Amino acid sequence: MSVETAVGRQGAIDATVASWRGLGWQLLPEEPLAPALNVALDEILTRRVGAGERPPTVRFWSWAAPAVIIGRFQSVRNEVREEAATARGVAIVRRMTGGGAMFVQPDAAITYSIYLPERYVEGLSFAESYAALDSWVVATFQALGVDAWYAPLNDITSAEGKIGGAAQARRARAVLHHTTIAYQMDTEELVQILRIGQEKLSDKGIASAAKRVSPLRRQTDLPRAAIVERLIDGFRDRFGLADTALTPEERAAAEALVAEQYGTAAWTHDLP
Amino acid sequence: MHGEYKTPGGKLVVADFTVSGGTLRGVTISGDFFLYPDEALGDIVAALEGAPSAASEDELAARVRAALDPGATLLGFSPEAVGRAVRRGLEAA
Repeated sequence: MSVETAVGRQGAIDATVASWRGLGWQLLPEEPLAPALNVALDEILTRRVGAGERPPTVRFWSWAAPAVIIGRFQSVRNEVREEAATARGVAIVRRMTGGGAMFVQPDAAITYSIYLPERYVEGLSFAESYAALDSWVVATFQALGVDAWYAPLNDITSAEGKIGGAAQARRARAVLHHTTIAYQMDTEELVQILRIGQEKLSDKGIASAAKRVSPLRRQTDLPRAAIVERLIDGFRDRFGLADTALTPEERAAAEALVAEQYGTAAWTHDLP
Repeated sequence: MHGEYKTPGGKLVVADFTVSGGTLRGVTISGDFFLYPDEALGDIVAALEGAPSAASEDELAARVRAALDPGATLLGFSPEAVGRAVRRGLEAA
């Protein structure tokens, strides 16, 4: 067993990132999908990349409905006010990665997933791989005039507050790295639906969860769609990126996995 | 019983359990931590299930540490953080 601390070697991170150019990256553009289908697709695409059935891929998400996406190891009861969520038509879905709950509304968040074979992060610690896989985003935000930086273990942050958070899982010798960025935030709705305990804020020096996050909209005038476009351009410029689409087989496999796992109460309430 | 501990600069660990006959029962460990592989969570829980409720934070941490596979990685928390979350639950009771 090992316990990792979040100290990174910048040289190793930079060298790894430089090696990702020209891997034949494919882009899956935004498409509004049901929350459970979005998280099921992550597992399908990770396994396909691991099996060599798909090149390294970047997928931008879009939401067909509001949802709370809880981390793999979170307790539903500790994180979500289930009655309030149900009353407001907010789905609760458990994802395959660890990390914290996120409340997403259509057009309020920007989410992307990166799928790549594990060998392309070989030599980096888990913590270093987080910083490496979001480095192009931090650089793109800086180019947009947002003073962003990476805050280990898994946050993209700014002087104004946290902008986004990442989570990873590994399956079939592939890495899934996904990040959600706050574009705008309905704080009132958020505090109705998520429980945010005092212990979680104990080392932050601030009293309110809402104050921890500073959505991008407070820091740039660019509309959401333009930011997504700049992120795609930022990735393409650094690593190369071909425009593609999900195959019918991938979509069908993800739908089957919703029925079998991600859409079931047994999985969502795996940790009640 | 319910105890929480957040590693400074790291992640939250939540322990829920009952105490019966001086031992921990029905243990659940949850939180916003990262753990590889997933199955290691079962090893952590098994290490705590049946542990004496008089065990110290260090003793609980040692049980967790001993139960984990050499290949398991804890990110943002530690066996000590788990031990502290459990102790907090016991002390709040």
